[in-house]
Order: sequence, then C-alpha cells, then structure tokens
Amino acid sequence: MTDAKITTIEQLHAYLYAALQLEHATIPPYLTALYSLRNESNSPAWRILRVVVVEEMLHLSLAANVMNAVGGTPDLTAPDFVPDYPACLPDGEDDFAVDIQSFSAAAVDTFLMIERPAQAPRAELRLVPRGASARHLLAASPTAPGMQYYSIGEFYAEISRGLRYLSDEYAREGRELFTGDRRRQVTPEFFYSGGGEPIVVTGLESALRAVDFIAGQGEGLGGGIYDAGNELAHYYRFEQLKAGRYYQKGDQPGRPTGPALWVDWGNVYPVLKNAGLDDYPTGSELRRVAHEFNETYAGFLRFLTKAFTGQPELLLEAVPQMFRLRDDIRRLIRNPIPGRDGVHAAPTFEMPGVAGSAAGSTA
Amino acid sequence: MLFPQGAAARTDPQTVSGTIYDAVIVGGGIAGAIVANQLSRAGQRVLLLEAGLGEDLTLEGYEDYLTRFYSAVSKDNQSPYPPNANAPMPRPSQVRKITPGRPDSSGYLVQNGPYATDSTYTRVLGGTTMHWEAKVMRMLPEDFEMASRHGQGLDWPIGYGDIEPYYQAAEREIGVSADVADQAYLGVTYPPGYVFPMRGLPLSYLDKMVAAGVDGTEVEAGGERVALKVRPFPQGRNGIPNPDYDGGRGYIPVGAVSTHQVEEGGRCQGNNNCVPLCPVQAKYHAGKTLAKALGNGVELLAQAVAYRVHTDPVNGRVTHIEFRSYRDPSSPEYVTGTARGRIFVLGASAIENARLMLASGLKSSSGLMGRNLMDHAYLLNWALLPDIAGTGRGTNSTGGIVDLRGGSFRGRHAGFGIDIHNDGWGWATGSPFSDLLHIVDAQHKFGPELRRALVDQVSRQLLLAFMIEVPPSQSNRVTVDPVHRDQLGNMRPVISYSVPDYTMRGAAYGRRLAQRIFERLGAEDYTAYDPADPGYVTYEGQGYAIRGGNHLGGTHIMGTSPANSVVDTALRAWDHQNLYLVGGGAMPTIGTANVTLTIAALCFKSAEHMIEQLRAERAPVALSGSTSGSAQ
Repeated sequence: MTDAKITTIEQLHAYLYAALQLEHATIPPYLTALYSLRNESNSPAWRILRVVVVEEMLHLSLAANVMNAVGGTPDLTAPDFVPDYPACLPDGEDDFAVDIQSFSAAAVDTFLMIERPAQAPRAELRLVPRGASARHLLAASPTAPGMQYYSIGEFYAEISRGLRYLSDEYAREGRELFTGDRRRQVTPEFFYSGGGEPIVVTGLESALRAVDFIAGQGEGLGGGIYDAGNELAHYYRFEQLKAGRYYQKGDQPGRPTGPALWVDWGNVYPVLKNAGLDDYPTGSELRRVAHEFNETYAGFLRFLTKAFTGQPELLLEAVPQMFRLRDDIRRLIRNPIPGRDGVHAAPTFEMPGVAGSAAGSTA
Repeated sequence: MLFPQGAAARTDPQTVSGTIYDAVIVGGGIAGAIVANQLSRAGQRVLLLEAGLGEDLTLEGYEDYLTRFYSAVSKDNQSPYPPNANAPMPRPSQVRKITPGRPDSSGYLVQNGPYATDSTYTRVLGGTTMHWEAKVMRMLPEDFEMASRHGQGLDWPIGYGDIEPYYQAAEREIGVSADVADQAYLGVTYPPGYVFPMRGLPLSYLDKMVAAGVDGTEVEAGGERVALKVRPFPQGRNGIPNPDYDGGRGYIPVGAVSTHQVEEGGRCQGNNNCVPLCPVQAKYHAGKTLAKALGNGVELLAQAVAYRVHTDPVNGRVTHIEFRSYRDPSSPEYVTGTARGRIFVLGASAIENARLMLASGLKSSSGLMGRNLMDHAYLLNWALLPDIAGTGRGTNSTGGIVDLRGGSFRGRHAGFGIDIHNDGWGWATGSPFSDLLHIVDAQHKFGPELRRALVDQVSRQLLLAFMIEVPPSQSNRVTVDPVHRDQLGNMRPVISYSVPDYTMRGAAYGRRLAQRIFERLGAEDYTAYDPADPGYVTYEGQGYAIRGGNHLGGTHIMGTSPANSVVDTALRAWDHQNLYLVGGGAMPTIGTANVTLTIAALCFKSAEHMIEQLRAERAPVALSGSTSGSAQ
C-alpha cells in the first residue's frame, strides 16, 4: 500500500500522466457512441453524449493544467497514451471492459460504470491487487505495479493527497512545488463549454480544486447529483437515458422528476465492437479511410499536446478540428463492412507507429 | 439557461381575468422580455401576453424549428416558424408587386404601396430575435440630432449621452462580443476603461480579402474626403469572454435555453446560418431573457392575442386589455379574456403596437399613431471575386464598412453601412441552391466536376449589402381597416410606404460606390435589378431593387410634447398615463444602426420609470386637508 503513495515529484508526474490517459481514454468510446446515432434523431441521447465528450476535453485540459503547474510536460503522443480497446477500468477489486461500440443499453451501462461514484468501503481497500485481467488497466497505480485503485475516485484521492504531501514537504524544505510556466495554463478564454470552465492552477488550492472538479463532474459532489459548478454530474446525465426522464434541482439520486425524455434505442448504426484495421479487407476503401482517420486522430493528439505545452490559444481551433473528426467518424460509421451481414465500420483508434497494432499498415 | 419547467402554463385565461397585475405586457420578444425581467426583479407582479404558441422553451422545441428550416425549400427568415392563422406574420414569399391603386391583401400585411416591403417580424415566443442577425451597433451621436445637425428628419428628445448607460445594460443582456477600439468611430464614445462582455469576433477571410483592396481608399462625400476601412461588427453572439469586463469580474456567456440542463451555445461555431436560426443558440435570442423573467415568477399567457386596449374616457388611463385566447392555431375558435393591471406595456413590434392601438380607436392626440413607419432600405450588390475567398464560412456577417454611416453629406443624402456577407449571394440570388441548379441543369455537370464547379462559384461570391437610412415621413404609415381581419378577427396592419428620395439619393451613391469597390477588387459585377421585383424603385432614370431590413421603427415616436409625438422620453404614452409603448416604434429616427440594441437600451430606461411609477402610485397618499400637497 505505501508503495503507491506519491512521495516524489516524479511520482506525481507519473500519476498526472495516468490521469491524462484516463480522461482521454473515455473519449473514443463516447465519440463512437455519439456518432453511431443516426442523424437528426435521438436528440436527448445526442445532447447528453456530446456534453460529456466536451467535458472530458475539459478534464483533459484541467489535468494538463495541474501537470504544467507542477513542472510536468503533458504528452498525448507517447506510444502508450491511447489504450488498446477494450480498455480496462477498476471496479472495486475487479475490473471491467470499456468497449468501443454503438450507442446501446449496454454502452450506457458501461458509461454508468465509468462515471459511477464509488468510495472504498474500508481504507485498506483503496488500493487492491490487480484483477486477473492481463489488459492494460487505466487508473492503476503507476508506481506500484500489480496494484489498482478501488475506483477512479480513489485514484484522484491519491493525487490530491500527493499534492498536499509534496506541497508540505517542499514548503518545509523552503522550495516551491508550483514552478510551472503560467503561460502554459489553459484559461477560460481558450476553452469553455457551458459545462464548467478551466481552473488556472497556480498553487495547492487551485490544484486541489481542479482535481476535485475532474472527479466531481463525473460522479457528483458529496453524494449529490450536481457538481461544484451546479452541473449535473455525468453519472446522472447517463442515468437519465435509462430512466427516460431528466433530473432537476432538488431531485434525489435515482429518482429524476424533470421533463420526460425519449430514446430511440433502435435508431442507431450497428458498428463492429472494438474494430481493428484488420477487420477491414486488405486494399479496401474502408481500410484506407479508417487508417486515414487514425492519422488524423494522431494529428489531433499532437495538436492538443502543442496546446498544452505553451500554445493554449490553439484550443480555439479545436472546434473546427472536432468537426472534422465528426465528419471522418461518420464517414466510417455509415458504411457496412463487406461480408459482415449489415455490421457497420467504426474508427479503430489505433495510433500509427504503435507496436502491436495494425495501424502502421494500410496494405 | 434553464427555463422553469411548466412556466409557460402557470396561468390560464380565467385566472388572468380575475387578477389585477402590477404590469401587463403584450409581446414576448426582446422588449417585453427585458421589461418583464426588470419589473419582476423589482418585485412587481407581471403578466406577459404572447400571441404565438406558448409551450415551455425546450431544446426539443428549438430543434423542431431547426428541422423545419433544414427541410424548407425556401430558406427565408421565417422558414423555421410554422404558420399560425391566429397570430399570422409577414413572410417574404407573400410579397407581390403592387399595381397603383390596387392594394395587395394576399399576405398578412395589406400593402397599399407604392413600395411593397418584404420586411418581416416573427410572432413566436422570443420574437424577431429568433431570426435576427444579431449585429448590435450603437447609434451615432449625430443620429439623435438629425434635424439640428443635418436638417433632415427629427431630433430625439434625448441624446447619446442620455442613452449611453442603457446601451451598456443592453450589451450586458445580449452578451455582445466586440472590442472598443474597433467600435469607437464617428463620435461614438465609451466610458474610460469600458470593455464589452466578450472580445470582438475576428474578421472572416472574405472580410480580409475585401479589406486588402479597400482599406485606405478615399471617397468624396458631401465635399469631404473619407477613407474607407473594413471593420468588425459588434455581435450578439457568444465569443471569448473578456476577463476585464465588469471591473475584472468577467462575463459568463449564456448558452442554450431548455427546461433541462444543456450545455450548448457557449461559443459561436461559425455555422453560418445565424439568420433564420442559430443551430446551437450561441446567438442571443429573447428566450434567454424570458427564461430569467419566468424564473422571477412572471406569469406567461401564450396563445392570447391582444384584441383591444380599453381606456377610461375621463382620464385616458388604460383600464384593461381585451384579448382573444385560442387553443388551436388552425381553428378560429377563441375565448375572450381581460387583463387588468396598474400599468400596461405594449412591446409587440412597431407594426403590431400601432395596429393594436389604432384597432382600439386610439390615434394619439398628435395624430401620429402609426405614422413615420421606418425600416432600413437595403441595396444589394453582388460580384464574383477573381480568387477563392472562402465565402460560406464564418457567421453571416462579421465585418463591413461603416465610415459613411455619418458625415456632413447627410444634409443631402442618406448615410449607410455596408455589410460584407459571408453567406455569399444567398440574399440576392438564392445561392447556393440556385448555383447548384444552374450547374446541374444548364451546365450538365455531375460528380467531382460538379463539386469543383460549385466550390469555384460559391467561394468567390461577394455580396455587399448597403443598409441605408430611411428618415421619418408621416405618409409612411400603418393603418387598420375593419375590412381586413385575420382568422381571429383582429384587424390586420395596412401599410402605405414609399422609399424617400433622400434614401434613394443614398442608394444611387451607394451603387456607384459598390461599382468602384468591385473595380478595385478586380471583381466581376453581376448585380442586376429586375423591374418585376416587388421592391423595384426607379430614381432619376435608374432602377434599384430595395429590400426591407426588418428594422421596423417609428410608429409611435418619442418627442418633447403631446403635439409632436406619441410617447415621452420614458416611452409613456402622452395620452395614457399608465401605458408604455416600447420597441422600435418609439424611435424618432433609426439612423444606420440595426435597431435591436437601441430598442433594448430604451427598454432598460423605460423600465426604471415604470418601477418608479408603480412605487409612487402605490405609496399611501398623504391626506392633509389640502389637495395640493398630496404625494407627487
């Protein structure tokens, strides 16, 4: 247990990199589910998925702000940054798979698990031995191999604890923990979604606020359904889809009483779950387009890395970039895969040049 | 912005008829919304009567408008808004060329001519701000003094300095994106340190192409040389919040409105169909203010069309407004209701305010009710640029030339602003749909060749829209005629209108200037005005097609006395001490600024007086034996 504790700046950086990875890892499944909805239908589902994606982008920016503030360098282009799907997230002493798949009741169940509030029932269960799965686990401890956090919430609790600990240690030694270049901070000018805005991290207080925001926007604050910014937490946003009803102020978890909403579960393109380039016939147009998309997506991650390492104003261009991603993903999703009996293509999110994926080859 | 669930159905005609409100407001557009919000914030009980359908404002309802627009064959500025025979609205498709002496009553507006206007206003919750372009320029100081400075039109009874603080309030309410440095020209001033809520939106690539050819060009106007420059417009759409706003407190943009939490519209995405409807609600519409007002407890009664304003024959005060409440837009059935209040506010648009007053037999002791109808006259000029200019990107209009909005030349001819249209020739020719048809039908292209031809054609289009001032003229007017009624029995507006020579001199100057600008840009002029166009006007042997601007004003102008005007500087009717007529109708001139910002500013000013009046009239009267000493 003590092995996993953050006691050095290098460990803090490793944890924050894992946080960036984690926040990003939900984006491909959310985007794929979003764009599997047929155009101009399923508006409530579309809206809910869209805002969650935008807010995951915000979380990514916040994690980058914290990392920059403590002198780290966010790098979204590292070879292991994008997980192989299905990705794997902690579920208490077990883990669960996060698939890239069409919008469906099963997909929403997964999203609920991603965003679910969960505190370890006992302190000694905060960090538990890894489950049997050999897959790459997100929110594992980057410093204690073989151990995983009970939940995403516990993972962020350790980052907060580590920030406090190091801040105290540094203060005792007369050093400053928050030495990062302020010009690297993503400020509200360069990002806002309506669902919260970037917190500029300049010290311990703002760093903790940023970490709390990331954790709280997923699962709500202190057992409530809203986060610190009075936004409905992601877990409860998704729950609305299953309940067929919106939450409103004053509601208790599990009992939304707002306006009714309607989901047309069948009005969706059925895409191949966790598709890889090898699922598309060699030499086919689908394979070419899927490969091109991966190149574009890798470019998008390079672009974000630039934005997070000194050019925050680049984020203004993220909107048109994401429009382009949308168009590219839809191009794939609208096409059935030859010989697969009506199953449609999907983006594979295999980053070119990464060993072990077929992403490097278009042949 | 959360719209309180069920707020649109808080009351019903019967309850309303049995209640005395502090204020009864007619019209749920920007004017009515601002007044309702201000009064309710001050603790007043407010009823808002809306003629259009009144469901809660939800994202789904908004999307129905969008779907309607996407599937409409004609993408005109009313295309998202379904027909409603009980609250009809003018539609561009209804305009017919007028034969002298034969009024056209085929559309909602009965048009006497000689000029047939295609101007519109939108009778839905949120009003015309649903379809507006959201260009929010302030009027120039000289616009308030046209008679004394230029010997044209009328002076306002208030000046720029009087309205300036209210412009700030309006800029906050609408959420304006602009930079002071770009907007301080021709005498427009701001208090030291003022910044707009959000930073200015950038010029489009097309604007920059035009600027490269035009900036610094000198033209002669009124004996003076004026250098032209392409400037960004202030916009009522969300951009980058300015952290220096409000003494460093910053500004939080207001996004989409719905009964459930949605996060959309926080920032403009450049979809380029601001008119007739922003797909993401990054553009301000009055629903954003209505949501706040209803959150304060304002009662909304929709599907309630004001039918008649009743007054006390002795003191002229309004006693009640009789309205007709319908259930089904397609059925003429209605029940009559009565709205009673201490004060009454008409904010139903310049044309509807005058129509209602005249239908109620209230012509104003000045005789000016309905007169001085104004609307900007638009002259379109279109050309093809030599190079791809990125037309079709950005919002509808991000920049233009405003140097000839004011100047000494206005003694002789009208001033104007020039809009550069990022949406290409659409307004003039129906592009890009017309281009597509032409390339397919006449040039027989298909596949990649068709795609290339379309890009080549559309992305070089340049449309310069000259927005020309129209001075007040008593013969341009709204009247009513019991012969012409709508399905609900309301008298329809009858419009008599001609474009003044002063304006046409401006148009003629503008046309020559457009030709010069095209020449400088190496652009091929495709402008052609069709004599069969309902808006065709001949001036000094030349023909021009004049489009309406939807910037209606002047039907109940503000002035210094009951003899020269309908309302005072508080927008209170001289003849009816508890009636306020708000909106563009109160403007004695409309200058060369789109009218909504000024309408909003005047509403903030007027609402202060309303609150004062309500408080004063409710204060206990001191009875001291002498009547002369009672509370004033």
